[in-house]
Order: sequence, then structure tokens, then C-alpha cells
Amino acid sequence: MEAEMLKGHLDAIVLAALEAGPAHGYAIIEAIKSRSESTFDLPEGTVYPALHRLEQAGLLASNWTTPTGGRKRRVYSLTKGGASALAERRKAWSRFSQAVDTLLKGGRAWPA
Amino acid sequence: MAGVIEGYLAALRRELDFDPPLARRMADEIEAHLRDAAEADPAWPSSEAERRSVARFGLAREIAGQFAADAVNRQARRTWIALLATVAVTFVAMRLRVIWLGDAGDSLSVLAPLVDRYAFIAALCVAAIGWFAFRRSLLPLAICLAALAASIAAGILRADLLVEAAPLHVLLTAAGEIALIGLLSFHVIGLGRRLRRTAMLRRAG
Repeated sequence: MEAEMLKGHLDAIVLAALEAGPAHGYAIIEAIKSRSESTFDLPEGTVYPALHRLEQAGLLASNWTTPTGGRKRRVYSLTKGGASALAERRKAWSRFSQAVDTLLKGGRAWPA
Repeated sequence: MAGVIEGYLAALRRELDFDPPLARRMADEIEAHLRDAAEADPAWPSSEAERRSVARFGLAREIAGQFAADAVNRQARRTWIALLATVAVTFVAMRLRVIWLGDAGDSLSVLAPLVDRYAFIAALCVAAIGWFAFRRSLLPLAICLAALAASIAAGILRADLLVEAAPLHVLLTAAGEIALIGLLSFHVIGLGRRLRRTAMLRRAG
């Protein structure tokens, strides 16, 4: 169930994972796993279509980097548009989760 | 003998063959990922670590299916833009022909003006319905393409542009609408290919 729920919010989660700074695909997945305390266990490859989609939408930028003695990797970073989109999605998620939380906790009686 | 990672990358390139530049880019990028993941799993022999990293990554066909679905969205957007441009230029070309023919008169029977006008109106109606209800569907775009092609062909025949010495602006707009209908055909065919590919990957996934 968590995996299905994650799919609908993957773009926002990827944007949030890149908020701390530029990172390559493997590091992004590790960050998502670590920050969610391994709650979300999607196939790792699922992140790449999301990265590509966000880049096509202008929310991410990317370039190849080769650290000294290291492996060539494509590193992604948030664009200005990506940062705004993340802020928007955070607000939308906050409203949505509060509403669902209220309904699921059943604090108030449902209208007859 | 090819390793597990090489085999996986070859499969991924095959599944992404609908977009060769994307296939090359992803193969390079994902190879770095899989090798990082295998190296981060030192408890296992290298071939087993590679197999585990590939297993965690997910099936090549499923990953390609997600790329294909995104490609459909992008191609549908490009096709709608091409349709909008074709409609606009066709409308201008029609008006210019009508103004010019006001002096010269129709060279063909009553049929060509009717096809010219009503095929264009039909294209507009189908485009409006398609935009609001079936934006990722091939059918409304294919119908619009056929109707616009009929309208343009009838317009050119009606004005006898192939024979008569029409003014330059009439000829230029006619050339523009022919170029745009070619571009629209290219995008409609591209959308059809991507939709078929997405459906195939979904069925197999």
C-alpha cells in the first residue's frame, strides 16, 4: 500500500530530496529511503522517469560530473521553478493531509 | 560473458528504443547507479551483488513503461500545438483565397468550396471536443488531420493554385498550410507509435 501511495507523490518527494543540494539518482534514492526510515520501498528505477519528467518540465536541471578517480554521474539540482513547485506542493499536501487526518480520526460527527 | 548489469542495460536500451537518445542517456546514468549499488553491498560476491542491485532497481520493462507514458504526454502536447498552428494558418489561407477569388471566381464546381468550408468546421468541432474530453487520444487528432487535409486540398483545387498565377501572399499561406499539415501528420503518427508502445509495455509488464 505504501508503494502505491508513494507513486502519486513521487515528484514532490524527489523535489524535496533535492532541496538540500544537488545529487545523483543513487544518492536521491538513498536519501528517500533514509528520510522515510525505509517505509517506502519502491523499485529504485522508479525514480529515474520522475527525474526525467521533472527535468523536462523545467523543475530540475542536470549535468554530468566526474569526480577525481570516481565514476561519471548525472547530478540533478532544483531550478528556481522547482523550488516554487516544491513550496506549492508542500502547501497542497499540508491542506490535504490535515483534512484526511481530521476525517480518519473521526473527531467530529458526520452530518446525517 | 556479459555481466548481470550489462545484460540489464542491454534490455533497458531495447525497451527504450522508441527514443534512442533517451535510451543512451539512461543506460549511462543507470549503469553508474547499478555499479554504486553493487559496490555498496560488499557482503556478497560481485556477481551476486550485481544481481541484487538489478533486482532492487526493478524490471527494465516497467521502467521503460513509465518513460513511455511520459513520452505519450509530451507527444500529445506537441501534437495539439501543431494542430492549433495548422488550424490558424489554414483559416488565414482560406480567408486570403476567398478575398482573392472574390475577383477571380471559383475555378471548380460547387463541391470544392463546400469541402473547403465544412471540412474545416468539422475539424474545429472535433478539436474542441477532443481538447476537453480526449486530450491523450489519437482518434480526434487523426480525424482533425483528415478533415484539415481535405479542407486544404479542396481550397487549393478551388482556387486552382497549381495552374493560376495567384498573388504571392496566397501562395505563401498555401505553402504554410501544406507544411503544417505535414508536421501535424508527423506528430499524429508519432503519437500513435508511442501509444502503441505504451500499451505493449503495459500488457507485458
